[in-house]
Amino acid sequence: MSAQKKRTFKIEAFKHRVELDPKYAERTWKVLEHAIHEIYNHNASGLSFEELYRNAYNMVLHKYGEKLYSGLVITMSGHLKEIAKSIEDSQGGLFLEELDRKWGDHNKALQMIRDILMYMDRTFVPGNHKTPVHELGLNLWRDNIIRSGKIQTRLLDTLLDLIHRERTGEVINRSLMRNITKMLMDLGSSVYQEDFEKPFLEVSASFYSGESQQLIECCDCGEYLRKAERRLTEETERVSHYLDVKSEVKITSVVEGEMIANHMQRLVHMENSGLVNMLVDDRYEDLSRMYNLFRRVPDGLSTVRDVMTSHLRETGKQLVSDPERLKDPVDFVQHLLDEKDKYDKIISKAFNNDKSFQNALNSSFEYFINLNNRSPEFISLYVDDKLRKGLKGVSEEDVEVVLDKVMMLFRYLQEKDVFEKYYKQHLAKRLLSGKTASDDAERSMIVKLKTECGYQFTSKLEGMFTDMKTSVDTMQGFYANQYSETGDGPTLAVQVLTTGSWPTQPSAPCNLPAEILGICDKFRTYYLGTHTGRRLTWQTNMGTADIKATFGKGQKHELNVSTYQMCILMLFNSADQLTYREIEQATEIPAPDLKRCLQSLACVKGKNVLRKEPMSKDIAEDDAFYFNDKFTSKFIKVKIGTVAAQKESEPEKQETRQRVEEDRKPQIEAAIVRIMKSRRVLDHNTIVTEVTSQLQSRFLPNPVVIKKRIESLIEREFLERDKTDRKLYRYLA
Amino acid sequence: MRRSSTRKTGSALPVNPSSGSSDAYRSASSKAVSKEVERIDNLFYAYADASSGLIDPEGIESFCSDLEVDYTDVRILMLAWKMKAEKQGYFTLEEWRRGLKALHADTISKLKKSLSELEKEVARPTNFSDFYSYSFRYCLTEDKQKCIDIESACELLDLVLGFQFRPQVDKLVEYLKHQRDYKVINMDQWTSFLRFCNEINFLSLDNYDAELAWPLILDNFVEWIREKQS
Repeated sequence: MSAQKKRTFKIEAFKHRVELDPKYAERTWKVLEHAIHEIYNHNASGLSFEELYRNAYNMVLHKYGEKLYSGLVITMSGHLKEIAKSIEDSQGGLFLEELDRKWGDHNKALQMIRDILMYMDRTFVPGNHKTPVHELGLNLWRDNIIRSGKIQTRLLDTLLDLIHRERTGEVINRSLMRNITKMLMDLGSSVYQEDFEKPFLEVSASFYSGESQQLIECCDCGEYLRKAERRLTEETERVSHYLDVKSEVKITSVVEGEMIANHMQRLVHMENSGLVNMLVDDRYEDLSRMYNLFRRVPDGLSTVRDVMTSHLRETGKQLVSDPERLKDPVDFVQHLLDEKDKYDKIISKAFNNDKSFQNALNSSFEYFINLNNRSPEFISLYVDDKLRKGLKGVSEEDVEVVLDKVMMLFRYLQEKDVFEKYYKQHLAKRLLSGKTASDDAERSMIVKLKTECGYQFTSKLEGMFTDMKTSVDTMQGFYANQYSETGDGPTLAVQVLTTGSWPTQPSAPCNLPAEILGICDKFRTYYLGTHTGRRLTWQTNMGTADIKATFGKGQKHELNVSTYQMCILMLFNSADQLTYREIEQATEIPAPDLKRCLQSLACVKGKNVLRKEPMSKDIAEDDAFYFNDKFTSKFIKVKIGTVAAQKESEPEKQETRQRVEEDRKPQIEAAIVRIMKSRRVLDHNTIVTEVTSQLQSRFLPNPVVIKKRIESLIEREFLERDKTDRKLYRYLA
Repeated sequence: MRRSSTRKTGSALPVNPSSGSSDAYRSASSKAVSKEVERIDNLFYAYADASSGLIDPEGIESFCSDLEVDYTDVRILMLAWKMKAEKQGYFTLEEWRRGLKALHADTISKLKKSLSELEKEVARPTNFSDFYSYSFRYCLTEDKQKCIDIESACELLDLVLGFQFRPQVDKLVEYLKHQRDYKVINMDQWTSFLRFCNEINFLSLDNYDAELAWPLILDNFVEWIREKQS
C-alpha cells in the first residue's frame, strides 16, 4: 500500500456520453434506408418496428436528424422516380389504375415510415422548420409523379377524356375516378384546382358551348330546356360521385352560363315555342322548368318577367280596344276575369308564386284596364248582370268568389269615382225594378267596396237600401190606415227615395191616368201627414205598373209595364185609335221616352199590345196607334220591356263624364286646401304629388286641372304666390 | 304773383291762388319752396274742373296737348305712377302735388324736360316691376273689379312692355287674341307676363318648364308657340 492521498470520494454522474461516431450514424442510417426499401418493395413484414424506431430515435438524439431527414428525402424520391417510370410505361387504359395502385402503396408506405420516424417528426422537424413526414411524402409524390412532365399531361388528358366519354353516353369507372380526384385533393386543394379543376371547367365550357349551339338550332324551346335541365342534373350527379364537392357550384354555373345565359333571348323569343307560346297554351311544366332554370342565371328571371309583361300588356290592350268585344260589356269583363285567372294559375303553378311576377301581372292589368275609359262602367255592368240573375242558384261561397274577383279588377281602376257613379245608377235601377237576385249578395258587394274605399264611398249606397226598407214599412202603415177605403181600386206600392242618396234623374212629369190619381193623392196626404216639412215629387220615369187587359177573343193577360207605358195604354180605354200627337198631348211624356215606349208596345214581336200604322220600326209624328185585339201570347203574364241597365249612349256617356269631372273639381280643391293648411308653404311639384297621392283611391287627377284649381284658389285669395321664390305658394289664413 | 296759368293755356279756368290749402302750405316752408308749390297748385287749377276740384279726363286731354304728348302715351301712365294716382282719368290735388314735386317740375316746360328722366327712372328694374303692377291696377276702373278684358290687356301690354320686349309682346298679344280659354286677365297672370319676359329665353323657350308654377295661360301659350314651330 502506497501512501494514498486523501481524496474525497466522489461518485461522478454517469455521463453516458455515447458519442456516436459517424460510422455508427452511417450504419444506423443504412438500416433505416434498407427498411424504407423493403417497405416500398412490399417486404415490410420482416421488419421490426421497435428496432427501427429506436434507430431513428438514436440518430435524432445524437444530432444526426439532418442526415436522417435528407436521407429520407433522397430515398423516397428515388423510389418515387422508379414508380413514376412504371406508371409512365403503363399502357393506355391501365394508366389510371396503375397510378391509383401506386398511390395506395405510397400511402401505406408513408404511414409506416412516418410511424418509424415519429420521434424525428415530433422533435427535429418543428425545430428545424422542416416539412413533416406525411406532408413531405405528399409533396414528393406531387413533384415526382403528378408534376412529372409525362404524367402530368397524360393524367389530365385521361381524366378529361373519361369525363367527355361519360358525357356522350359511355359508362366509365367511377370509383377509380373518385380515387384519383381524391388523391389530388389530398395533395392540396391548389393541386386539385390547378391540375384538374381549372382545365376541367374550361373544357366543359367549350363542350357545353358546342352542345348548346347545336341544340338550339334543332330543338324547340321546351325540348332545349329539358335537355339543359338534364345536363345540369348530370353534372351535379357527377360531382357527387367522383369530384370534390366544391366543384359543384363551379361546374353548374358553367353549364348555366353556356346553355342558358348565353341563349336567353333566343330561347325566350323562339318562334312557336318560346315563352309567349307557353303562356298562351298554359304549358305549366315547360314554364316551370324555364322559371327554375332561368332563376339560376343573372337577369334570367327579369328577362322572363319582362317578356311576360309586354305580352300581357299587348294582349290586354288588344282586348280593351277590340270593338267586337266592347259590344257586350258583360262578356268583356268576363274575358278580363278569365285572363286574370289564367295568369294567376300560371304564376302559382309554374312561377312558384313569385311576388315580382305577381307585381308585374298587377301593373300590366292596371295599365291596360285604364286604357279604355269605359272600363269602370263595364265592370259595374258586369256586377249588375250578376246581381240580377247571373248568380241565381250559385252557392254563397261561389258568390263571394265571383265578387272577390271583380273587386280585384276594381282595384286596378284609376277612375274609381266613375265606377261609383255608374254603380249607383245600376243599383238604383235594380232596386226599383225589384230585379236583385239576392239581397245578401248585394250587401256583400257593398261591404267589399266599403273595405276597399272607406265609408264615404258606400254611405249613399247604403242609404238606398235603407230607403227601400223604410218604404216597405211606410206602405204597411199606409194600408193599415186605408183599409176601409181601398175597395177594388188599384193598389199602390210606393218607394220613397231620399234625394241625394239616389242618382239624380231629371224627373219629367207626365199626366197620370185618372184611375190612379186618387190613390196617389191619398198616399201623398198620408205621408206628408207623418213627415211634415218634406217635399214629395212623383218620379214617373222610374215606376212600373201591372195592368189587366182583355183582348179581342176574351183572352185576359196581365201586362207588366213602365209607368209611362201604363199612361199610354190607359188612354185606349176611352179610344180605339190615337195618333202619336194625341198620345203626346194627353200624357205629356217627353218625346224620346215616348218614342221608346211606343216602340216597345207596338213594334216588338210577342209584346205588341198596340198596333201601329204604318208598320215601320220607327215612330213618326203622324203614326196612328190601335189597340191590338189580335194580340196573343202563351203567357198569361206578359212583361213589356223594363229596360235593364244598358250601356250608355254617346250623349249620356258625355254627360256622365262631365258630371264626374265637375265633381272632381271641389275634391281637388279640398285636397289642395287641406295640404296647404298643414304645410303653409309648398312648391308646385310637391303640391301636385301630394294631391295625387291623397286622391289616388278615387281617381287620378290631371296635373293641368290641379294647376287650374290652384289658380282659382289664388284668385279667391285662399293662396298666394311667394313674393321672392316664384315656385312657392303660401296658404292665406 | 305771376299768373302763369292764364298766360299759358287757352283754358278759361280762373286761377285761385289764395285757396285755403295753399295758404297753410305757404306759411310752413321756405319761400322758394312755397313758390314752387304755388306754381304747382296753379298748374293744377288750370286744368281742374271747378265743381269737382279734380282734373278730369277732359282736363287731362288739354294737359297732354300742352305737354305735346299724346294722352295714350306711356309717359302719361308713368306720370300717373309717379303721382300714385288712384283713379284712371283723374288726378287729385294731392296726387298732382306729389308727382310734380318729385319731378321738381312746376311748369309745363320743366315737366316736358323731366319726362325723359322719368322714363329712365321707370326703366330701372326695381321701379319697373312696381310700375308694371301699378299699370294693371290703374286699369281696374270699377269697384271690386279684379280682371281686365283681353282687348285692354293686350293694349296695356303693348304700351307698357312693348318697348323692352317687342317680340314677346307681339307673340303674346297674338296668342291672347287667338285663344278661347280666358276672357279676362287677372293680377296673377299679369304679374307672370313680366316674369316670363324677364326669365324665359325667347324665341327658343328652352328654359321654360311647364311643371313649375307658371300660370296655365302661359303653359298654353308656350305650347301654342311650340306647335307652330314644329
